[in-house]
Amino acid sequence: MPSTTLEAGETKKPLPVTVNKPTPYTFDLGLLLATDPNPLVLTSKANLEDDLAATARDGAQALLNQLLSTCPVASTPNGVLLSLPAIETSLPREKPLPPPKAQTTWQKFAAKKGIKPKTAEEKKKMVYDEATGEWVPKWGYKGKNKAGENDWIVEVDPKAERERKEGTERQGDGRRERKEKVRRNERMQRANERKGRKNGSGK
Amino acid sequence: MLRQIKPRNARSKRALDKKAPKPTENPKTTLFLRFTTCSQVVQDALTDLHQLRIPLAKKFTKKNAIHPFEDAASFEFFSEKNDASILVFGSSSKKRPHAITLARTFGYKLLDMLELYLDPDSFRKLAQFKNKKCAVGLKPMLLFAGTPFESPVTNEYTLAKSFFTDFFKGEPADKVDVEGLQYIVSISAREEVDGEETKPSIHLRVYLIRTKRSGQKLPRVEVEEMGPRMDFRVGRVKEADESMLKEALRKARTSAERPKKNISTDIVGDKMGRIHLGKQDLKELQTRKMKGLKRSRDVEDSEGDEDVEDVISEDEAEAPPKKSKKKE
Repeated sequence: MPSTTLEAGETKKPLPVTVNKPTPYTFDLGLLLATDPNPLVLTSKANLEDDLAATARDGAQALLNQLLSTCPVASTPNGVLLSLPAIETSLPREKPLPPPKAQTTWQKFAAKKGIKPKTAEEKKKMVYDEATGEWVPKWGYKGKNKAGENDWIVEVDPKAERERKEGTERQGDGRRERKEKVRRNERMQRANERKGRKNGSGK
Repeated sequence: MLRQIKPRNARSKRALDKKAPKPTENPKTTLFLRFTTCSQVVQDALTDLHQLRIPLAKKFTKKNAIHPFEDAASFEFFSEKNDASILVFGSSSKKRPHAITLARTFGYKLLDMLELYLDPDSFRKLAQFKNKKCAVGLKPMLLFAGTPFESPVTNEYTLAKSFFTDFFKGEPADKVDVEGLQYIVSISAREEVDGEETKPSIHLRVYLIRTKRSGQKLPRVEVEEMGPRMDFRVGRVKEADESMLKEALRKARTSAERPKKNISTDIVGDKMGRIHLGKQDLKELQTRKMKGLKRSRDVEDSEGDEDVEDVISEDEAEAPPKKSKKKE
C-alpha cells in the first residue's frame, strides 16, 4: 500500500470495503493469487477498460481483505510483515526431483549391524568411577582402560598361567593386551582402506 | 543435448551445483527470444513483460529462426544453456501476426506451449502510462477473473492461467511486507458463448493499488492502470505429456507436512487419538468372586486364614487376580 490518503473532508460516509459476488473468490495466499469464478461483466466495447478496472478493483479489495484478515501480521523495524501460508496451487517443477542419495558403504554396514552413531554422552572423555567416586578419563593418562595394570597384588588365574606363552610374565599382561588391540584396529583400518581403493578404482 | 561436464575446479562445481535439481527449487528464470520477423508491437510487449520480471529474466535480441510448434529442439537448447524454464518467444508472420509463444520446460525438455496473438490496436506500452511505476522485482498480486479459467479440463485458458501464475510467481516468500503489495496483475476473460466462432480473448492488465482510509480496519482499495495493457487471442496449444506432467508435479517429501497417524481433530477442535490396546486376554478377566470357585481351593487346602482373605477380596474386587494371589 504505497499511499494512504486521507480524504475526510470530501467524503463523510465510510467507503465500502466488502466485495459481494454471487460466487465467492478462491484464494491461494501463498502466491498472492485470487480467482474470481464469476462471469466477467462487460457492458459495451467502449466501456471495456472501466469494466476491467472495476473487476480488478473488486479482486484487489477481496484479496487484500483476505490477506489482512487471515494472515498473521508482525510489526518489525523493517516494516509490517504478513506471514503467508504455503502455496496450494500445483505448478510444474523446473527440474525433476533429485534421486535419493546412495548409501555409503559404512551406512549400509551400520544399518546391517544396527550400529547407531554415538550419543553426546558416549562421546565424552570423562567417566565416573563408582569405586573411588571420581571422574576419570576413559583413555590416556590415568585412563580407565589401564585399570588394574598396576595392582600390586593379583589373584592367580590358573587357566591363564597354563596357556602362558614362553618368555612372558603376568606383569604387563594388561598393557600387552591393550597394545595388541590398538595394533589389531590399525591392521583392520589399513585393510579397509586397501579394499576401498580396490573397489573405488573399479567404479 | 550438451555433453555431461565434470567439474574440474571449485568454481565450475559451484556453477553446476547451482544448476542441479534440488528438492526446493530456485525461482524459474524466464528467457525472452524473438523470431527472424517480429513486429515492433510484439517487441515492445516482450520488453514490457521482461521489465515486469526483471531480476529473474533474460532477454535476447538476436533473431532466431525457430518454429517451436514444428521443432522445439532449439527451445530445449536455449533452456539448458541459460538454465531458464520459461521461454517467451515473439514472432510475427502473415499467417500468424503478432504472436507470442509461451513455453515451459521440465528438465530442459519442452513441457507445454501456448501461443497467444497480441491485439496490436489495444496494446499499450508500460511507458505510455504516465505515472509512477512500482519498484523492480516486487511480487505482484494476481487475479484471474472469468469463467474460462475455471474449466475442469485442461484447455487454453487453464494453461494460460498456469503459465501466468508461474510467470508472475517470482521468488517464493513466506513473509511479505504490506508496503510491498503495490500492484496487481489482472488477467480476465469473458465466458465462452456457444455457437460463437472466436474464442474469448484474454485481457492482461496491470494496476497500481491505491488504498484509502475507509473508517474501518480494512482499507478501501482503488486501482490505477500502470501498464502494459495487452489483449490476447489464443492460438495453438501444445499440452503437456501426461507422464511428464505427473513427474513435474511431484513434490519433495518434507518432514513437516507428513501428518501424524491416528490423531484427528473433531469439529469442536478437540484433539482425538486412536490407540491400539492389543487383544484382551479373557482368561485374566475378573469375574464375580465366590468362595466356592476359588482356584486356591483346588490347589492347596485352606489353612484357616479365610477371614483375612475375605477382607482382601472385597477390597480388591477390581484388581487382577494375580495380585491377590501374591498376597495369599
